[in-house]
Amino acid sequence: MPRTWSSLFTVSDDTKEKLAKGIDVSRLILHYGWVPFVIYIGYTRSNPQPSLIKLISPLA
Amino acid sequence: MASSSSSQGGLVELASPSLQPQIKTPLISYLGPAGHLYSRFSQWRTSIGLPNPGTVEGLQKEVKNTLLTNFFFDGARADLNKALSMNPAFQVTHSFHLASQTSMPSYNFGAVFANASLFLQGGVDHDGNLNARINQGWSPNNVTKIQASISGDPQHEGFQMEHDYQGQDYSVNAKMLNPSPIDLSGVFIGSYLQSITKNLAVGMETVYQRMQNQSGINTSALIKYTSTERNWIATTQLQPSGILQSTYWQKLSDKVDFAADFQAVIKPQMRDAIASLGVKYDLRMSTVRAQVDSTGKVSALLEQRFAPTFAFLVSGEIDHFRNSAKVGVGVIIETSTLTPEEMGMPSQPYPPPYP
Repeated sequence: MPRTWSSLFTVSDDTKEKLAKGIDVSRLILHYGWVPFVIYIGYTRSNPQPSLIKLISPLA
Repeated sequence: MASSSSSQGGLVELASPSLQPQIKTPLISYLGPAGHLYSRFSQWRTSIGLPNPGTVEGLQKEVKNTLLTNFFFDGARADLNKALSMNPAFQVTHSFHLASQTSMPSYNFGAVFANASLFLQGGVDHDGNLNARINQGWSPNNVTKIQASISGDPQHEGFQMEHDYQGQDYSVNAKMLNPSPIDLSGVFIGSYLQSITKNLAVGMETVYQRMQNQSGINTSALIKYTSTERNWIATTQLQPSGILQSTYWQKLSDKVDFAADFQAVIKPQMRDAIASLGVKYDLRMSTVRAQVDSTGKVSALLEQRFAPTFAFLVSGEIDHFRNSAKVGVGVIIETSTLTPEEMGMPSQPYPPPYP
């Protein structure tokens, strides 16, 4: 049990470092993974399924 | 973009209100007399039949859609939209923008997926800056929205998470911007809008800002008046710190919308006001927007659709006080890999075979 309520919300430096690292990693995953993820979801759920070249190229 | 939130207002108004208290009563009855009082109250509330006032975010939706400010561009642009599926909707977009006075040439790739409850959007530009958006509808009245933008520059990074609830005659929204679990900083916004009569809705929006060493709270008042025929809307937002924004929107006919917007800052150290007037004509194959504002700018935008798949845009703005001008041209090309039957159009009858 925390002694005071305010100590409940104070985070130790070690945890802070871990949190910052976790945020950095999830930022990186989101940065490179989000657009491929949306395309994957759209491609697999599409009805009818389009061909891959039509998906990426602006001209096809 | 077909954001799922825009259609919410209509859905809630259509939902039959008489069903709700009958479902609630058995659960409420466990609470004894307080529950009885609550169910009496909610029955009374239902019997008045007040409409949902719409969201706080959408308070000025009609005005923003009529005014040119959000649609104006300069230079040259081309948008290539490719619809790959209709149900669920899946679309990819390539947009090019060059020769603008205010921004560098840019290329943007976007992908949008939407079904009845989920909306996913991802966009990435030539510098690798990402825009991401998810809207998840849990029920017709409950929507959670998350937005994030990631780039190398910390100034343009952001994260936003919000939840929208639309009650029978009220709307609630809770939002947080850039929350950090490390030092508990961020901006937290709560808003509430309640219909008082069939025409009038009042509400409030509270912004709580928490930084490393300081925090502040700021509440503003909202008023929205909708005419009985629903063809004109007046809104006012007032912040006690001295910022006033009033808008007026009227549908003059089927094809003509008119909007006015007035913003004033009245503080001891500065006084400023801007007014803009705009009009929008929706013709059969084109949309015309024109706008005049008190800073001396006159602008217009024509969106001409030559075919269902091809639209041509011309925009222009003259700043009379600064003696400067901007022009823009653009094309929007919509292609589809789908056949007309797959897009839900009636199929052409086959030519009769030779006898």
